[in-house]
Amino acid sequence: MRQVKINSEVGDAVNRARTGSTGYCSNFFPSPQKLQSWITHGVLFCDQHDGMAFFFRKDRDFWHLYFCAANPTVLQQAVAAHTMLKNEPVVLDLIGKKPALAEMTAWFEPAGFRIYNHLFRMARTVVTETPLLKTDLDSRVVVASQADSHSILDLLLRSFDSRAEQIPTLYEIETAVAAGQIRVVHDAGMLAGLLYFETQGITSILRYWLIVPGFRAQGLGACLMHRYFAEHPAVRRFLLWVVAANTDAIRKYEHYSFVPEGLVDYVLANDKIRP
Amino acid sequence: MNVLVEILKSIRPEFDFTVSTDFLADGMLDSFDMITLVATLDKTYSISIEGVDITPEHFKNLATIARLLKKYGVEVT
Repeated sequence: MRQVKINSEVGDAVNRARTGSTGYCSNFFPSPQKLQSWITHGVLFCDQHDGMAFFFRKDRDFWHLYFCAANPTVLQQAVAAHTMLKNEPVVLDLIGKKPALAEMTAWFEPAGFRIYNHLFRMARTVVTETPLLKTDLDSRVVVASQADSHSILDLLLRSFDSRAEQIPTLYEIETAVAAGQIRVVHDAGMLAGLLYFETQGITSILRYWLIVPGFRAQGLGACLMHRYFAEHPAVRRFLLWVVAANTDAIRKYEHYSFVPEGLVDYVLANDKIRP
Repeated sequence: MNVLVEILKSIRPEFDFTVSTDFLADGMLDSFDMITLVATLDKTYSISIEGVDITPEHFKNLATIARLLKKYGVEVT
């Protein structure tokens, strides 16, 4: 396994897996910005085999696994033979439509992987713009500053499952803050809530929306959400991923006109990952 | 180009792909959509787009996708 140092190494590895493939399969589709960031920060590693490439991304105390394989047989053989998949804590995301994912999940089961969590994507297609909610609370919603970065990370780690919910690292949060992608609410000097998004043209992804217990039921979450919509009048599609079992969150998203769009994320983990 | 527009609309029916010159920057396609598009183009035209060609530059707009397909012997009208 070698560290990926430049972008073209990824293209070359993917190409070798795809050349002459009869049933190419992959879970590796990072945005160019994310890929570059992983390479720059030295967290992406590659292991090339005949007809396939594994990519491993270091994330705190575990690894994310990505694969590009010429066909499912090559992939299953490589999964069964790879010692790192048995000895290190590894998770992988399989994204697609449910019937296809059931088959893909079975490819990893002999190597000890099981479904660890299950998320699905919801979308809100904009027909009319959302007016800003004018309340006194709204003035408390501010753009996050770099001074908030550590608190934001602490809150995300306390509130979400890092194995299943792609919790950003500190440098990713600092980059998001610099890009103006996080809104926060403070109360008595403490971080009371946040909304973290990534906008690209007419699509915006709502990554995290959270009010700290103790500050809930005051309308802060609604203020954050309304501010988010109002600040993005050009966006026509809002997206988010939600844990399928989180019925409370799903109900709230439905309130804001998000609907499931059929895309599912099965998070698989090996037995080195504790539930 | 009509066939290409139809393929793109099958992936993202809510957008008008004829008005954009940069689908990725305009947020009309994300990297997952790009992989879906590659698979659809492979299947539709019985080709295998190589990994080195799966770059944002080749999927910016209708003209760049048409140029990419031409490399694989496919002429879109």
